[in-house]
Amino acid sequence: MADPAVELVDLHKTYGSAVAVGGINLTVEPGEFLTLLGPSGCGKTTTLSMIAGFVEPTSGSIRLGGRSVEKLPPFRRDIGLVFQDYALFPHMDVATNVGFGLRMRHVEKKEAARRVAEALELVQLGHLGNRRPAALSGGQRQRVALARALVIRPAVLLLDEPLSNLDLKLREEMRLEISAVQRRTGITTVLVTHDQGEALAVSDRIAVMRAGRVEQVGKPGEIYESPATRFVAEFIGSMNFLPGEALADAHAGQTCAVRTAHGVVEGKVASSADGIARGSSVSVAVRPERLRVVEQAPSDGLMIEAKIEQFVYLGSKTELHARSASGTLYLLEHANDGLRQSYAAGDIIRMTAAKADLLLFPDSGS
Amino acid sequence: MIRPWRILCGVAIAIYAFMFAPIVITATVSFNAQNQSRFPPSGFSLRWWAEAIDPRWIEPIVFSLKLATLSAAAATLLGLPMAFALVRYRFPGRSLLSLLALSPLMLPALVTGIGLLQFLQLAGLNDWLGLPALVAGHIVICMPFAVRTIAISLSGLPGNLQNAAMSLGARHGMTLWTVTLPLIKGGIFAGATFAFVQSFTDYSMSLFLANAESLPIPIMILNYIEFGFTPTLAAIAVITLMIPLILVLIVQRAFKIGDFLYSAPSHG
Amino acid sequence: MSSKRYAPLLLAGIPALFLFFCFVVPNAFLVTTSFLRSESQALTNEWTLENYEALFRRALYIRAITRTFTIGVSVGALVVVLSYPLAFYLVRTTNRWRNLLIALSLTPLLASVVVRTYGWWVLLHRDGAINEAALALGLTDQPWPLLPSTGAIIVGLTHSLLPYGVLTILTALNAVNPHLEQAAMSLGATRTRTFFHVTLPLSLIGIAGTFLLAFTLAISAYATPSILGGAAIPVLATQIYNLMMTVLDWSLGSAMSVLLITSAILLTVIGTMLGTRRASL
Repeated sequence: MADPAVELVDLHKTYGSAVAVGGINLTVEPGEFLTLLGPSGCGKTTTLSMIAGFVEPTSGSIRLGGRSVEKLPPFRRDIGLVFQDYALFPHMDVATNVGFGLRMRHVEKKEAARRVAEALELVQLGHLGNRRPAALSGGQRQRVALARALVIRPAVLLLDEPLSNLDLKLREEMRLEISAVQRRTGITTVLVTHDQGEALAVSDRIAVMRAGRVEQVGKPGEIYESPATRFVAEFIGSMNFLPGEALADAHAGQTCAVRTAHGVVEGKVASSADGIARGSSVSVAVRPERLRVVEQAPSDGLMIEAKIEQFVYLGSKTELHARSASGTLYLLEHANDGLRQSYAAGDIIRMTAAKADLLLFPDSGS
Repeated sequence: MIRPWRILCGVAIAIYAFMFAPIVITATVSFNAQNQSRFPPSGFSLRWWAEAIDPRWIEPIVFSLKLATLSAAAATLLGLPMAFALVRYRFPGRSLLSLLALSPLMLPALVTGIGLLQFLQLAGLNDWLGLPALVAGHIVICMPFAVRTIAISLSGLPGNLQNAAMSLGARHGMTLWTVTLPLIKGGIFAGATFAFVQSFTDYSMSLFLANAESLPIPIMILNYIEFGFTPTLAAIAVITLMIPLILVLIVQRAFKIGDFLYSAPSHG
Repeated sequence: MSSKRYAPLLLAGIPALFLFFCFVVPNAFLVTTSFLRSESQALTNEWTLENYEALFRRALYIRAITRTFTIGVSVGALVVVLSYPLAFYLVRTTNRWRNLLIALSLTPLLASVVVRTYGWWVLLHRDGAINEAALALGLTDQPWPLLPSTGAIIVGLTHSLLPYGVLTILTALNAVNPHLEQAAMSLGATRTRTFFHVTLPLSLIGIAGTFLLAFTLAISAYATPSILGGAAIPVLATQIYNLMMTVLDWSLGSAMSVLLITSAILLTVIGTMLGTRRASL
């Protein structure tokens, strides 16, 4: 088995008494696209900086391609970096920018020029070699930054929120391009972002981080369908929670019955929970798109009666914001399937969800 | 951080040493036991400091303080409306006005002093020499500091503050008093402080405009140097360093004037 | 509203008038006087170019002018060479006393030049510290005549103007995005190569600005050349003082002053064109 491309073992970084990264264990396989996802301050950028070598870990080890790199400066780690603000050298033109890494590696001039041209073609900027960064648009600068990092064929490509400075449409285009380029070149990639849509769209695996720790690592589907903790459930997409009381003891992954204000329901205990005790309070979680409006109450399972507060039309989908008698506000999402169904504020609706769509999270305060 | 950085640290220390050597030497000489400007000193004595607190020396120091306060205050008062005009309005001749406001920084103060001397003498205004001429000359070299720092403060204000205040019912004067001026306090005090220091340490202009009754301390020191260097002079020199230093420290505590340094390279 | 149009006038009127009468007019007087003849210490009404002729013909003045500009170039270069490393250190250090260190590097500005030059005098004169050390160490058996000399003036002026250099280069270096250096390093450039390929080129403007600033200030300096050079080593500023206050040849003194003014303006224009300073706010 080949060494993992990136291996972080018990990585810590503290600044005085502030813990930026509090014990991270991660491996990235060769050719994999891993995203570090989390809100600002969760330590994802610090982690990336440590992998790159700009920040020294307080403790723990970092291995790139099997070799221990904590003592190595950035210029010896065989990495490629794309910054949020692109960091293109303003005093060099595009071609010189892209060729900088090759120059540092003493690649012969003709060969370097060929590779620069190739890299620019890869990002579809072949014709802009002579321009200065100042004369480029944000999206173009981004691509130059990518080309510059890729042309040196690094072992690992590191992207630090590369799309944050672009507007929405461009961001969506660019994320697909990055994904395509990565697939074509097969370079191991670590992306840092706070945009969960981005993470879901491009990653092979996602590591969701909070307060310096990794809450869950998994494929996008796993993260979305089976969030391990309440934080992950709330951070990715939207989630409805209704309070309830466990009617039995159960382990993570087991099904358990819960008494709620809307009847007794059964759900699966989330994977990170130590387990729930009978009588303890739990939250039943269900995704907005898994809630369905029904005419008649189902014979068993979840049945929420709620009054619509807002009906939001978003084109490809509609949102219903409805509040139950017990005061909980629910979000229901319905894809636009052409059938006209209009609701008005004040309407009373009944919502249900399948048992498989219900997750249970213990209310331990976190 | 590895080897090259260590070398840099060493170089930095050496340069600091170079920068402070003369000042430290001057200070130590002032404590010399004998009446010699030697380094290292041959003993410790406070008698030169006792001599330094002589009215002969106190007078020029007090005069310089007076002069600097007057000049700084006037320069700030004049610089404030100037800065407003330059930052808040667009009008034909604006760049010319800007040039005028900053030009005293571009020409040697020496030359302006000579020019003023000639001007006053040829216009028969000889009795204006001394304090009035000094104040006028100092205001000229101090105003650019005030204009610059206040302009920096002003341009740093979010564009819509004034509009917000007015939409809430405040009129121009009220907005100025309750919103704008408090927010540019830093710029005003920074300008006034730099102006004070500039005036207090100036000699180029004072060389030509001072007279026997209006003698700023730098000129006095210059004159005495001709008679030779004595430890008393050294003590006076240290005092003249302490005064602006203490002022800057006090003002820096209250307002972060240090931020304005980055945009206020001054001319001696 | 019509009052809006007059607002700039009302605001800037008095300060502008003040500057006009106390700055523009006196300098204009100087220029005028430089074209008038002086006889027996009094100005006449005759227009003449003889003052400028004297400046560029008489050996004494030519020497003073050349010496002054040589000092200017030397001081300019030395200030750049010395202030750059210090400024670079201050920008890149992670020392928590960083702000204090920056303030420290600017403190000498608070001391009047006279104060600082005094210290140099104590170090450099015949019985001064350096000579004492040299004699004691046996480096020489006669004290070195370090004062008065052009070299001493250069050292003294470099010392005086160092803080200005640190300030200017500090500003220029701060404007360089640290990500650029990180990018270079991630692409394989060592710290040294990053400096020469990225940091230095991008701070070139600061270097040019520092040189011009130091040069301009050095050529018009009075106190330091007066103390460390005296009558034996005249420069423009000391000559001007002499002519204006002792010899009372205002015409010649004004002509010399005009030389200084022209140099200053020329340097400012060059600086503005290079982008080292903004011509307006």
